[in-house]
Parts: sequence; structure tokens; C-alpha cells
Amino acid sequence: MNDFEIPATESTPLIRTDRAAGRLEMSGDSYPENSFELFQPVLDWIAGFLGQLLQPLTLELKLLYLNTSSVRAMMDIFDALQDAHDRGQPVEVNWRYDRDNERVADLAAEFKEDYSFPFEIIPGS
Amino acid sequence: MEEVDVLSLREAFSRQGIMLGFNGPFSATLMEEIGKALRKHMEGLAESPSAITDVFSAYIELSQNIRHYAASSGVSGAAAEATIIVSRDDAGHYVVSAGNVVLHDDGETLVARIGELAALDKAALKAAFKTQMRKPRDPEAKTGAGLGLIDLARRASQPLACGVKPLDSQHAFFSLRVVI
Repeated sequence: MNDFEIPATESTPLIRTDRAAGRLEMSGDSYPENSFELFQPVLDWIAGFLGQLLQPLTLELKLLYLNTSSVRAMMDIFDALQDAHDRGQPVEVNWRYDRDNERVADLAAEFKEDYSFPFEIIPGS
Repeated sequence: MEEVDVLSLREAFSRQGIMLGFNGPFSATLMEEIGKALRKHMEGLAESPSAITDVFSAYIELSQNIRHYAASSGVSGAAAEATIIVSRDDAGHYVVSAGNVVLHDDGETLVARIGELAALDKAALKAAFKTQMRKPRDPEAKTGAGLGLIDLARRASQPLACGVKPLDSQHAFFSLRVVI
């Protein structure tokens, strides 16, 4: 469960983990052809963090456009957070977006409906 | 082979409101570059971020569907090629159209699936998207697991329209039109 950072590309977001701070950041667009390859390290890191540590985990998201396979991969990530939440481990998601881009807010809101852990959708400029 | 007639192509593009078009074999990199050009062009027209996202998304899902199909269907040659067109109709709607060579049976399956989706309203499409998302994923599959067509239908302002034309005993040309 070592920390890692994957720089953003045209079609993939910046991904950065911080075990000490209990934080995972993802920002940018995500539309790779193989999203599962991209997100597997994220899922592994989250599973490691939630399995070994009892400290809170926060996902700081500034994700913009997600293709459908990225949406599917995000579901797996949020499901892992929900399992931890159900076990009593504190987890939260903060998803920041530009208030002009309502599609991002729509997408985040559709995810939020399916989970009971704290899930903030935060407009900015 | 006919000689290339640039003027008549240009006139056909103008008549059909075509802003951007591509025909031939395409790589992931080329797809990204065309997508970037599409976004820049729409930003230049001062379109809203939501409109840009919807058109861009339709373009990406259609392109990736075709690339995944070409990679998985075992049909080589023409099947790895695509025709992708972004245009505007008389009402000002953006239209993303795409076509590729498919096996006959696959074409018929797609037509049936798109017909099912056309009968659903926005709420039913949302429910279908969530149901599909929760279906177990084939660990070998790299794709969006059947979410692409539903996503296209959700972003469209009109039901998806498609067609399939036989090319030879095995192959057909499948085309899909998404009006945003």
C-alpha cells in the first residue's frame, strides 16, 4: 500500500495518494480505453488502506468528464468506501466542480444517491 | 476509382452541416486528438460546458465502442475502420454519427437493443443505466460493460436512430445517429 502518483494525460486524471493524511486525490478527465487498468492501482490502494488502517479516508475529486467505463470503475471505488462505512470506518467524498459544468454535478449526484457515507458535491468557479 | 473532387466533397459537407468528419483506420491517439479539436471548436463557438461535454461524450463513446468491437469481434481489415461525423442539423442540434463494418448477427443485435432503448423515457434510461452498472463485469472485458449505448440515449434529445445495410454474405455496415 505504498503511496503513488500518476500524472494526468489527455485522457486520464491526475491520481495521488497520501496514506499519512488519509487522502486520495483524482482530478481531470477520465476516458481511457481501458479504465480498469487505470483504476486497479486505486482500488488496490483503497483496499489496503481500509483493510490495514482505522483512520479516516477522504477522496478529494475534481473529476470532469468520465467515459462509461470510468463511471463503472468509480462505482467499484465507492462500493469499497460504502463497505468500510458500514463497518464503522470514517470515509468521505468531496467532489468539487465548476458551477458552469452541470453535467459533472449531475454525474456526482447520481452516484451520491446510491451511498450513505458523507458525499459532498461542492460548486466552485 | 473516381478522382477526388475536393469541391464536391466540400459542398456535400456544407449541405449536410458537417463540422468535422473522419473516415478510416484510427488509433487511440488519433481519437484523442480529434476529440480535442472538437472541444476547442465548440469552445470557440462559446457553447456551454454541458453541451460540449454531451457532444464530446457521444463522440468518445461511439469511437471507443467501435475500437472495442474491432478488437473483440475478430473481424480485421475494414472492421477496424470507422466513419465518425459531427454535424449540426437545421434546428441547431449537434449530431454525432458513426458507422462501422459488423457481422450480420451483431448488427441485428444492436438494432434490437437500440429499439428497446428508444422506447424508454429519461427516468427509465437512468434506471437501465444503474441496473447495467450493477451487473457483474466480465474480468476480461475492458469496456464499459454495455453502458455506452444507454449513456448515448440519455444524452440525446431524440431517440437514437440506427441502420444496418448488408455488404456481403457475412458483413454489414452499421450506423448510429445521436442528436444532442
